[in-house]
Amino acid sequence: MNPFPIAWASLRRNSFTGILFLIIVALAVALGIAISAQERALRAGSARAADKFDLIVAAPGSHNDVLFSTVYLDPSAVELLDPAITRLLLDEPEADFVAPIGFGDAIEGDPVVGTVAPFVDHLSGGLAEGRLFEKRDEAVIGALSPHTMGEELEVSHGHGGATGTDADAAADAIEHGEAIPGGDGDHPHLTIVGRMQPTGTPWDRAIVVPIEYNWAAHGLGTGHLPDDTHIGAPFDSDTLPGVPAVVVKPKDVSAAYGLRAAYRTPQSTAFFPAEVLVGLYALLGDATAIMSALTLAAQALVVAAILAGVVAILDLQRQRFAVLRALGASPLFIFTTVWVYVAAIVITGALAGLVLGWGGAAIVSDLLAQSTGVAMRAEIGTRELSLVGALVGLGLVLAAVPALIIYRRPVVDALR
Amino acid sequence: MPGLPLAVSGLLLAFAGANVIDLPSLAVAPGTLTVLSGASGSGKSTLLYLLSGLLRPDAGTIAWAETDLAKLGESQRDRWRRKQAGFIFQNFHLIEEMSPLDNVLVRIWLDGLSAASKKERALDLLHQLDVPTERASVAKLSRGQQQRVAIARALIGNPSVIFADEPTASLDAVAGETVAAVLQRLAHEERRTVVVATHDPAIRALADQIIMLDHGKRETAS
Repeated sequence: MNPFPIAWASLRRNSFTGILFLIIVALAVALGIAISAQERALRAGSARAADKFDLIVAAPGSHNDVLFSTVYLDPSAVELLDPAITRLLLDEPEADFVAPIGFGDAIEGDPVVGTVAPFVDHLSGGLAEGRLFEKRDEAVIGALSPHTMGEELEVSHGHGGATGTDADAAADAIEHGEAIPGGDGDHPHLTIVGRMQPTGTPWDRAIVVPIEYNWAAHGLGTGHLPDDTHIGAPFDSDTLPGVPAVVVKPKDVSAAYGLRAAYRTPQSTAFFPAEVLVGLYALLGDATAIMSALTLAAQALVVAAILAGVVAILDLQRQRFAVLRALGASPLFIFTTVWVYVAAIVITGALAGLVLGWGGAAIVSDLLAQSTGVAMRAEIGTRELSLVGALVGLGLVLAAVPALIIYRRPVVDALR
Repeated sequence: MPGLPLAVSGLLLAFAGANVIDLPSLAVAPGTLTVLSGASGSGKSTLLYLLSGLLRPDAGTIAWAETDLAKLGESQRDRWRRKQAGFIFQNFHLIEEMSPLDNVLVRIWLDGLSAASKKERALDLLHQLDVPTERASVAKLSRGQQQRVAIARALIGNPSVIFADEPTASLDAVAGETVAAVLQRLAHEERRTVVVATHDPAIRALADQIIMLDHGKRETAS
């Protein structure tokens, strides 16, 4: 038997309603797919962003705050790490490099971050153009920064909270073009000398400057003796200021765990970004599971509602099915025809929803990436396919309900 | 395919405690045109549905040659109708979204996945019945043409028995006479057994046997 031509004709008979059913299924599926794919893209993007931040050492307090400030450059007030701890870290033989991180300034809304050249090189994996900064008034910009090579920048202070008691005075000095109180009198203007490769992090929009510039801008000295104009290590132990965080690149895995244990002290805390993210993901995971279940339940309700509508629509065509029976169609033929009718709506709607959800998630990912700087790519994975598969499976099983209802209708009554 | 003989005896169908059909006997010879006639509500359509196996009687036999439909289950009666019978309705009951050709082939799809082997025969039938085959939808045909598509659909399976329920009631006189002539040809030239529920004088005039019904009982035979 071949029920497809009859099912197709029945779909065409009420094509508007059929398309409406299909759109409803597609939207229900798309919503579930978009939520699922977006949540995964958010996880993957945030995890990828933290990849290069092997070990973070900071003042005791919230790991989340430090992580968000350091990796995602999310402005928040964090305590400064005791300079004595920074000194110990800078002399750490188990580290490939130690990078103090300082922030608190912005240029046209883009963060100005102070650190050392080796970390910029590590984070970027080699520059896209130009060179690393070699002077205190030089800067390297992120891959997505709108600024250009050789451009001169003027820093505005106070994006996300001060990091020192003299920060406001330093800001005033910058704004007035005066020497920074407690600083070495460097001009606050910056010249861009290099551009980083894309990192998929908010650092792609940052203006990265020598940490000395950052300290000086906040009136904290430079970490070097007054006549010493070089940047980066070695720093002067006695003038080293406090920093919000220090990123450490351990020599190997055992060194990483050793350093983490060594710097979990009353004066400092040390953590791997991944362990904080795992905790956050665990919370997110519970919410995702609940959302997924609710989404599937909502989709099941949509399918059930559509099946009720299908029964009503096909009931209007009961005479057609009665005629087919009179022509010799078996009840199985009628059952299969109705089942194919419903299956066509559910399967086509689900596939359309898959594409729609994927597209929606891609757009949302793009918007989120633009607003957070964290690169995200929405992908359809096993979970999304399972979601669609579960809905289609449920739909195909439930399609038997209208099929059973229609094929059992009395033939002769419909013929009269 | 030669027509089948029909032998009915003791046929009884009751509804809500009353006999709807009560027919002690009826015989139909192959190659004849039999008309079931009577006023509205006389039971002629119900008898047609019983004879075609769409309804199962409460008692009696409906023997088409060796096959007693009264003893068969629903799926067996469906299969018998599929193999042996063709059905023509008052309102044609074509599928408007389909072409004339596909409407004829519907009958084939009930059996098999592909109707390709029957396509030529379907076109031939439509040409014989003077139906334009190039139309995308049967809704664009005249009512007479639509009924002829329905006749082609009934004939595509080369049935032994043709059932027709008021086949000319919604046609004008000319189209009705054409259909009546076709039914007569099916019986007398092609030797099929044709049973028609109708009160159309044009068909009655061509009938070999007229069964007059009144409240489900046989009134007069001629």
